[in-house]
Amino acid sequence: MEDLIRIRDLTVRFHTYEGVVYAIDDLDLDIRQGETLGIVGETGSGKTMTALAILRLIPYPGRIESGSIVLLGRDHQSGLELLKLKDDGMRSIRGNKISMVFQEPGAALNPVYTIGDQISEVFLLHRRQELSDRARHQLDDLISNRNGFAASVKRPFWRWQRRLYRKIAQDSHFFEPRLISRLPLFRRLLWRLRNEAELLTVNMLKDVEISDPARVASLYPHNLSGGMKQRAVIAMALACSPELLIADEPTTSLDVTIQAQMLELFRRIKVDKGASVLFITHNLGVASEVCDRVGVMYAGRLCEVASVEEMFLHPLHPYTKALLEAVPIPGRELQTIPGVLADSMNPPPGCRFHPRCPSAMPTCQQERPKPKEVSNGHMVACYLY
Amino acid sequence: MRDWRFTARQLAKNPLSLIGVILIAIFLVIAIFAPLIAPMPAGQTDPYMIPRDGYWAEPRPPSELHPFGTTQGQYDVFYGVIWGARTAFRVALIVISVSILIGIVLGSLAGYFGGVLDEVIMRITDIFMAFPWLILAMALVTVLGPSMKSVLIALCVVWWPSYARLIRGDILQVREEDYVEAARGLGASSARVIMRHVLPNAIYPALIMASLDIGAVVLSAAALSFLGLGAPEGYADWGQLTQFAQNWIIGPMNDPLKYWYAVTIPGLFIFFFVLGWNLLGDAFRDIFDPRLARR
Amino acid sequence: MELRAYIIRRLLLLFPVLLGVTLFIFGITMLFSPIERASLYVSGVREFSDLPEIIARFGLDRPFFMQYGTWINQVLHGNLGWSFVVGMPVWDAVWSFLPATLELAMFAAPLIVFMGIFLGTRAAAHKDKPVDHVTRILAISGWSLPTFWLGLILMMIFYGLIRGFLPPGRLSVPMDFVVHSAGFTRYTTINTIDAILNLNGPVLLDALRHLILPVITISTVNVAFIMRLMRSSMLESLGRGYVLTARAKGLSERIVVNKHARRNALIPVITVSGYVFAGLAGGAVITESIFAYKGIGWWAYQAASRLDIASILGFALFTGFLFVLVNLIVDIIYTRVDPRVRLGGTVQ
Repeated sequence: MEDLIRIRDLTVRFHTYEGVVYAIDDLDLDIRQGETLGIVGETGSGKTMTALAILRLIPYPGRIESGSIVLLGRDHQSGLELLKLKDDGMRSIRGNKISMVFQEPGAALNPVYTIGDQISEVFLLHRRQELSDRARHQLDDLISNRNGFAASVKRPFWRWQRRLYRKIAQDSHFFEPRLISRLPLFRRLLWRLRNEAELLTVNMLKDVEISDPARVASLYPHNLSGGMKQRAVIAMALACSPELLIADEPTTSLDVTIQAQMLELFRRIKVDKGASVLFITHNLGVASEVCDRVGVMYAGRLCEVASVEEMFLHPLHPYTKALLEAVPIPGRELQTIPGVLADSMNPPPGCRFHPRCPSAMPTCQQERPKPKEVSNGHMVACYLY
Repeated sequence: MRDWRFTARQLAKNPLSLIGVILIAIFLVIAIFAPLIAPMPAGQTDPYMIPRDGYWAEPRPPSELHPFGTTQGQYDVFYGVIWGARTAFRVALIVISVSILIGIVLGSLAGYFGGVLDEVIMRITDIFMAFPWLILAMALVTVLGPSMKSVLIALCVVWWPSYARLIRGDILQVREEDYVEAARGLGASSARVIMRHVLPNAIYPALIMASLDIGAVVLSAAALSFLGLGAPEGYADWGQLTQFAQNWIIGPMNDPLKYWYAVTIPGLFIFFFVLGWNLLGDAFRDIFDPRLARR
Repeated sequence: MELRAYIIRRLLLLFPVLLGVTLFIFGITMLFSPIERASLYVSGVREFSDLPEIIARFGLDRPFFMQYGTWINQVLHGNLGWSFVVGMPVWDAVWSFLPATLELAMFAAPLIVFMGIFLGTRAAAHKDKPVDHVTRILAISGWSLPTFWLGLILMMIFYGLIRGFLPPGRLSVPMDFVVHSAGFTRYTTINTIDAILNLNGPVLLDALRHLILPVITISTVNVAFIMRLMRSSMLESLGRGYVLTARAKGLSERIVVNKHARRNALIPVITVSGYVFAGLAGGAVITESIFAYKGIGWWAYQAASRLDIASILGFALFTGFLFVLVNLIVDIIYTRVDPRVRLGGTVQ
């Protein structure tokens, strides 16, 4: 499989009043085309930050200090350095080539606009050309096939509209000049675009298995249940058929039955759309259901990466092993990981995990272990190997 | 509760709040040292009455004897604004403390016990807040007879509802907190719970609002004095000094700004006093806003 | 809940509010002698000549609640008493002075609301940058200014220094003459509107000239207030999840701020704007007095300072009514802006 995203030496730091927080520390990660890569870790391990870094949405006072994130794929054979993109370049990637689904669907949706509006927004932003083409075809149809007095009166108007839409298709920035697009009259003219976007929206909602999608599109977020909201958010993210879908704990805030349906949906996405999915979770069980490969993060660093079977059958890193051990099994006493989470402002030197590691050695305190490929595709950063 | 060091440091970092603190300090010094800066002339008993150098109506420009000139009726502007600082502090302190007190009592009753008591008290505050405060204050002062005392009473009557509402709201919030449940579970009486657990936490926003309000109180008191309802004539009050200047804002044809000192100086004193408190209050609000996390 | 039923229900709220307000003021007026209170029941000057008869007829020496009842009865029959400060029945006084205040509010309110919203959004979107700091200083200075002093200084400069440029009052003498003459039809007694309807340019300009200073005076404090409120509301909105989502969709910062964040931030600002407008419509006492602008605030001040009890009570009734009305309108606007709010219900 080929790579889609290559992250190298990524470092993200937060400069807060109390001190510097090392959110991500020299991270190397590959996401392959068409795969579902899971990132597992505790809160504060840096998993969400990785996702935000890819989209360059790290909130202030955080900053991407160094590293590179390269986007490959069918349109970018030679690789596109995301961290060097200008603002408008990045914006054409967001929601379009790479999109994100957040943890709390309720918070992610704007309460004052309908679901349909918010999803259509993505189409209107990134698919203007396609929408214009469709509008034009509609007009072609009207011009050639409609007859009668009313039609002949409207016909020149239709022709003019068709020319308008052709211009938009050719140059999607045609109506960008703010003043023009603000005038109510012109906005009315673009109603066909909105219509087409609505059609696509309803289709999208159908794709994420929402019943009665036309009605749901006219509803507001507060009218929907948690599961439906999450589906709507996924629809919004998948609207432009992104190459990478980042899902940050998408099932955490949902109850178990809905969770199962959601995972099923993710599996289907993988098959139908062929998109890569970066699936972030702290739940190992969920990871095992959906992911092809899994990466384990601790304190801003990657500990281990392997295929799902490998990871669960032959975990190598002590942290991974401890995580697996900690999964509660009825009848067995609950195992925990001793010690406390690494202080992100004053992390332990060398390997971040060494204070809590049962197999810690003197070298672990001194220098950070480099990631090493132990077997095919199985990578660990630990001095034990 | 944020540590005081953090608070002080934030205040110091912010140039605006620093200016506010300096302004307040200046006025504090002026108020405390008023007798030294503008000594009461011999033969006068009440230091708050501004000395008059004659009885002509027309204001006189600044001179050696009268550093800021005299206003209508030959009242010394300098003396007036210096002692006016004292008046301002007095009025602000009294009105706010009394309003907070009433607000605490009524707000606690309403918030803690809820039910009919809450409804009644809330409707009463509604009515008070609905009525334009100036008219209410004016009516009260006129009925009670113009004097500083009536102004103080009137302002307290106008101000307490907002504190009662605020404290009630905070109590409603704090009431549901776990530590209150715990205290009740341990058998503490209602009064004890209110005093020891609920109030200290609920009162914090009220204190912040108070610091913002000092400016507003002084502005209102000045407005009342300006309208002639308040301090007796000749009392050292910024609002009244401005009122004296009202007829003299426009001078003769060839020198329209002739009496600028009469209206500008008292007004500037009011402005900077209120500005200082507002800057401080604004900085406080930013620091204590739970939504804005530490940088 | 159906809109009409809701409106009717809310208008019923009028009564307890009016009851409370008037009861309170009426209570204060009981401190005065029956002679002074006679003006409450009189509708023409001539009637004053027979005071004992009035006192007997309206029971001005009977217990409090009976008197209150009598007064309410009078009010329901349309008699609000006589306003001696302006020499006309209270009812007429209200309608005679209200248009002036409405005219002031008409110009001040949009200025306040739109400037406040615009500046607040800018300040929040560019937090901690120069724009934010400058607007913050302006805002705090704005609301530290005593309104009366600002008015006086403005007059000093624009009427005194620049001789007669922006005078006080509503109209200059020659224009006032025109307005009251036969050739000019007074549709609304709001000078600017009437001037437009009469296609009379000079009157329009004159009225506007007289409006500039009072509008600026009254707007300054309020703009500052709304601006700060909008700023903090925007900051809260910008911290929400849907803003991050909007950015993740690839929307430009301008659209994120103006379309997504602002609409949510407007919600609390709307209520406050409503109260600001109510305050304006209720009469800006100080501003009107300084500029000799004969609106309802001016009238109320005259009444309060000279203890014109009938006027004070009439004004109280007017204000109570205004308060309930504005609350109602604000609530209705709310339902248009925030889909979560349903009439008569709570946020779901």
